[in-house]
This record gives sequence, structure tokens and C-alpha cells, in this order.
Amino acid sequence: MRIDLSLLVPYLPFMLEGALLTAQVCVLALLGSLIVGALMAVARTSANTLLRRAASIYADLFRNVPFIVQLFFFYYGLPEIGIYIDAFTTGVVALSIAGGAFTSDVIRSGILAIEPGIIEAAQVSGLSKTKVFSKIVLPVALRTSVRPMGSVFINLILTSSILSTITLNELTGTAKIVASDTFKPFEVYVVLLIAYATLTYLVSLLIAALHRRLNRDLGEAVR
Amino acid sequence: MIKAQSVRKVFGSVTVLDGVDLTVAPGEVVSILGSSGSGKSTLIRCINGLERLDGGSITVDDFDVSKPKELAEARKRSGTVFQMFNLYPHMTALQNVTLAPVEVLKRPKAEAEAEGRALLASVGLADRADAFPSQLSGGQRQRVGICRALAMKPRYLLLDEVTSALDPEMTADVLDILAKLAKEGTTMVFVTHEIEFARTISSRVVFLEKGRLVVDLPTEQFFAADGGLANPRIAQFLSKMRKD
Ligand SMILES: Nc1ncnc2c1ncn2[C@@H]1O[C@H](COP(=O)(O)OP(=O)(O)O)[C@@H](O)[C@H]1O
Ligand SMILES: [Mg+2]
Repeated sequence: MRIDLSLLVPYLPFMLEGALLTAQVCVLALLGSLIVGALMAVARTSANTLLRRAASIYADLFRNVPFIVQLFFFYYGLPEIGIYIDAFTTGVVALSIAGGAFTSDVIRSGILAIEPGIIEAAQVSGLSKTKVFSKIVLPVALRTSVRPMGSVFINLILTSSILSTITLNELTGTAKIVASDTFKPFEVYVVLLIAYATLTYLVSLLIAALHRRLNRDLGEAVR
Repeated sequence: MIKAQSVRKVFGSVTVLDGVDLTVAPGEVVSILGSSGSGKSTLIRCINGLERLDGGSITVDDFDVSKPKELAEARKRSGTVFQMFNLYPHMTALQNVTLAPVEVLKRPKAEAEAEGRALLASVGLADRADAFPSQLSGGQRQRVGICRALAMKPRYLLLDEVTSALDPEMTADVLDILAKLAKEGTTMVFVTHEIEFARTISSRVVFLEKGRLVVDLPTEQFFAADGGLANPRIAQFLSKMRKD
């Protein structure tokens, strides 16, 4: 069998559009899971029992249900009770909620690993609760959390391919269309493999750089 | 004025502070002595609001530390230096020192930094201002810890065994700085095992035993045979400390 990638050239702009959509969804969902995850991590480490309980239920629920089921529930289930959300928004929200559950886990362990005396020093210096969190707790937790968070984010990018099942023509969605148009699934999916591998590799480079930056005081010890 | 009245603190079924009365007036250096577990750290932690009281009251310049709104004011008036330094690991020495002045006192950043550098220079760390805690020795870290507290221009400095984690040479460096601060009239509440040093810088010495403040005397009287030393527990404690 001969592999002829030139066959795909006319479809490249279309697939590029899909890739761009994937990038958009992922960037938004990444920010979304970071915000949701940070908030939920705060809730799960708070002194308020009710808040802690509620946040744990959230994390357990969304970690233990297949993503595609969550997605179908939002996209095909909610309209039954009168809630309509477009595919793009549904995708971003669903990924943020699911990603947030895993991110909250990672940030929570980062917070629990902080030497309590460091937080106490910030408290007695007169910083408000929110300042203690934004200036000390979160950045110190991130020093240990960035790397595991990187794995969560890469998973999020991979999971975004599932959005093609709710009519969103992101990278995987466009690939499916091109494959059936050209009857060349091998070539199409080779390109897709490379595209996802490149995307996640770039993210892992970014995470490594961020990890070095956050731990720059430790110099060569961190790689 | 720091005023602690009938302070009680309970952990589970253990009464750690049992009716402690202590007054510290501006300009005083009050040393708190007592064997390990007698409640010294807990008393400091009650003054800076890290522990909630189970009885009695503490005010710092008339601000009640048990009331959340007043605690913020009380905390602006006192600075704490910790045994384990507790520096912010993600910030440079200078950033450790300027964080609270900028965020709490709303000082302009450039001003806070100039003052922070001057403070660091005054403890011999002019060239380490941009180093991170992990790049500093224990003695250097504690000197940053002292600068961090001083940067808020506190009226009262609370020091909890600030040299216990340091080797003798570094201990001497840090004690020199404290002696200088005492000479300048800084008010200090000083928990320590450095008996001889406490004797030279304190105006008063108090002795805690099992959560009770059993003796509160001017330094000279505390160390006099017919003063504090007349209490057999104190005599025993001092002779044990001097042997170590
Ligand atoms: N958070 C806590 N929970 C339970 N017990 C505590 C806690 N903090 C201190 N204690 C107990 O209180 C007593 C006094 O401790 P502490 O104030 O640290 O003594 P000191 O500083 O004089 O050595 C000790 O018996 C200690 O075990
Ligand atoms: Mg102690």
C-alpha cells in the first residue's frame, strides 16, 4: 500500500479550522478547570464542614462518571428540562467541570503539603484571608502541583476529542468528515495522531518550564 | 501595652494555660522561661491570635485578639519571629520582607523595597536580598525572619525560641541583633532557653510551669538567691539549663 499525504492537501484548511477549535476549547477549559479546581480545593480544605462535604461530593461524582456520559447528559439530557446550551459552550463547561474535579485533587494535596508555619507567618503579619490564599497558599501549592496538574491538562486535551460526539467539529470531528470524504482513514488518522501528539508535547514543555520557574530557587535540583 | 488576663487554653482534656496574667509595657523586654511543654509557645500563639482562648482575655493596645475585627489591628501592632523561621519559600529575602508592608500597610512598593533593603543591610544581608530562603543558611534565614517582622514597624516583637534551630555561631549572630534591638528600646516578649542572654537584655523575667505563670520579677530579683532562686523549681530549672 502506498501512503499519499498529498491527497489531504485540499482538506488542510478545514482540518486546521478544527485544530483551532480544539485549541480554543482547550485553552478555555484549561482556565475553567484551574478556576473550578482552585475554588474546590479551597472548599475541600476549608474549616466549614458543609462546604468540605459538598466539594468532596462534587469531586467524587465527576471523577467517577465517564466523561461521555456527563457530556451527553449536558447536551442531550438538559434540553428535556428546557435548558439549551450550544455545543461549544457545553464542551467548554463539561471539560471545565470534569477537569476541575481532578485539578481540585491535585491542588488540594499541594495545599495540604504546605508547612503550616508558613501560612501562620502570613496570618500573623496581618494579611487578609484572601491575600494569604492568593499570595502564599496557592503559589506555594503550585510549586508541587504544576507537574501533576500538567498530566490533568494533557488528559483534558485528549478528552476534548470526545466533543466530536456532540456535533462539535473540532480536530477529531473534522478528521472523521475528511476520512469519510476521501476514503483514506489511514492517512487522515496518521495526521491526527501527529497533531495530538504535537499539541500535548507543547503543553508538557510549557508545564516543565512553569515548574522550573515556580521552583527557580532550587536551581539544578529541579529538572 | 500587651495585657493578658486569666488566660486559659485547653487542648482536649489538657489545660495548657491555666489562668495566666501578663502585662508588657512599651519599652520592656520580658523573657519567658520554663521547661519544654510548659506552655510558652501557646502563650505567644494566643497573643498573636493563632490560638483561640478558652478563657480570659488578651488585648494589644486595647485591641481584643478574640474579636476578629480587632485582631487585625492587634496583629499590625505585633510582629512574630518563629523558631523554624517559616519564610515564604517562593519569595526572595526582600520579597519576604516587603510583602506585608505593601499588602497590609499599603506602602508604595518602591519605598517598601528601599526600607527592606536597608533592614536586610542592617543585619548583614545586603548582598543576599535577592536570594531565596532555600539558598540561605539557618542563621541568615532567621535574620530575614527578624527583618520581616521589623518591616511592619511593630510596637511589640514576639520571639519564640528564635535561636533553638541554629548552631552556636549563628545563634551568636542572631542574639547580637536582638541585643541591638533591645538597646534601641524595642519592646520584646522573648521565649528562650538562652538564660544568660535573657539575663543581660531583659527588664523582667517570668517563669511558666505547667501552664501557670508562677513567678514574674524584675530580672535582677529573678536571679537573686532570695528572689526567683528561692523557688526550688526555678533553681532546679536554671541549674539544669546551665549544665546543658
Ligand atoms: N495543637 C496542639 N494540640 C494538642 N496539644 C498541644 C498543641 N499545641 C501544644 N500542645 C501541648 O500543649 C503543651 C504546651 O505546649 P507548648 O506551648 O508548645 O510548650 P512550650 O513552648 O513551653 O514547650 C504541651 O503539652 C503540648 O503537647
Ligand atoms: Mg515552644
